[in-house]
Amino acid sequence: MHLTVRHLAKAYGLRWALKDIGFDLPAGEVVALLGPNGAGKTTLLKLLAGLLSPTAGEIVFDGSNFGRSLTAQRSAIGFLTPGEHLYENLTVRENLIFFISLYNKGGAIAQIDATLDEVGLKHHSEEYVAALSSGMKCRLSIAKWKLLEPALLLLDEPYGVLDGNGVDLLESFLRGRRHEGSIVIIASHHVARVVNLCTRALILHQGSLTFDEARQQPWEGFTRAFGEFLPHGES
Amino acid sequence: MNLLSQTFLLLKKDLVIELRRRESLLTMFFFGTLLLFVFHFSFDLVPERVAEMTPALLWLAFLFTGTLGLAQLFEAERGNHCLEALLLSPMDRGALFLAKTAFNFILMFLVEIVVIPLFWILFNLRSWDVIPYLFLVTLLGTVGFCVLGTLLSVVTLKARARELLLPLILFPLMIPVILGTIRCMETILRVGELGDALPWLRLLIGFDVIFLTVGVLIFDWVIEV
Repeated sequence: MHLTVRHLAKAYGLRWALKDIGFDLPAGEVVALLGPNGAGKTTLLKLLAGLLSPTAGEIVFDGSNFGRSLTAQRSAIGFLTPGEHLYENLTVRENLIFFISLYNKGGAIAQIDATLDEVGLKHHSEEYVAALSSGMKCRLSIAKWKLLEPALLLLDEPYGVLDGNGVDLLESFLRGRRHEGSIVIIASHHVARVVNLCTRALILHQGSLTFDEARQQPWEGFTRAFGEFLPHGES
Repeated sequence: MNLLSQTFLLLKKDLVIELRRRESLLTMFFFGTLLLFVFHFSFDLVPERVAEMTPALLWLAFLFTGTLGLAQLFEAERGNHCLEALLLSPMDRGALFLAKTAFNFILMFLVEIVVIPLFWILFNLRSWDVIPYLFLVTLLGTVGFCVLGTLLSVVTLKARARELLLPLILFPLMIPVILGTIRCMETILRVGELGDALPWLRLLIGFDVIFLTVGVLIFDWVIEV
């Protein structure tokens, strides 16, 4: 698994949301994608997920150009957005069965109970998603991607609705994905948490990539970039 | 998973959600029957004008109820960005088109099963023997409506005034289906058999096959627009 992004750009009408983005990620990389609101983090995640088409540039996934119609590539990509991408009128178990079937991973159905137990939703398996709290929906999203085991996992603000246990659960899941050789990209404003977890950080500022560096000890370049490009409230 | 099993999976999910919400079917059913009562009180259907007026009135009811159904077609996907979840998955996007078309067809046909006999009862029509032929024509017309309607429903999905925009685009493009079904029904009601209506039936079958094939092929592109 290898992800290469070259000269990637996205415009919404006349406004450039992303300009000339490029990076190269090998297997097992956990990336902190940071930047203030409107920097282009979600747009970049959606481009990598194939939910948006780039205006320019290319995404190369395991040596082949990423096209939105390539189903084999899509089955390797996970996009965790807390509480979203779940059917409110289906139960917890029905949602998992539906997505497992859609991803053609029938073997994972046998692991639903164990996974729900791990994320603390064992006793909620027959409840409708609409009846779950935001934190529980996020736990269900974690269960979904645990079962689907994507090679590239994208996360958009995953910390917001989780309690302490939920955060531990999420981070242990992400470490597990890293050991399995997945690439994990986390867009978040919880800088301290995500920097502890990452092996590399990218900082976006007004659609441009202003910082791209592997984690070091001490990480002086990051401290400098943090002061320059990130809002003071982010920690 | 092949196209058909993906279609079945998506259709099953839509039917389960509809059985729980009961919004689309109930709305369509009550609107369809309400229209029949409005027609009943507005028109005096004399025997000489049955063949001329019945198809038009029936299809007015089907078009309006069908448009109501189309407006709700992606309702399950609107909450929680579920359409995004489907587009992210490795499914063939043609399966989504087929599943949504089949779902809308099932809802419309359930309404038609009630509306057609009710029309005969309300207007005290005697020609019950032509009802099976009329169902056949209605079935073909409904397939055409659902195929084109699903395609355009996706096109207008992100539009602000989609409830207004959808019929404005859909109805003009539906003219071959409307004309075909109405002429077909009229011929059946005049002659009492299917034979003379065959040219119109062929038009309907052609429309259905062409737009169903085109829909499966271009849906991937249409849903990205």
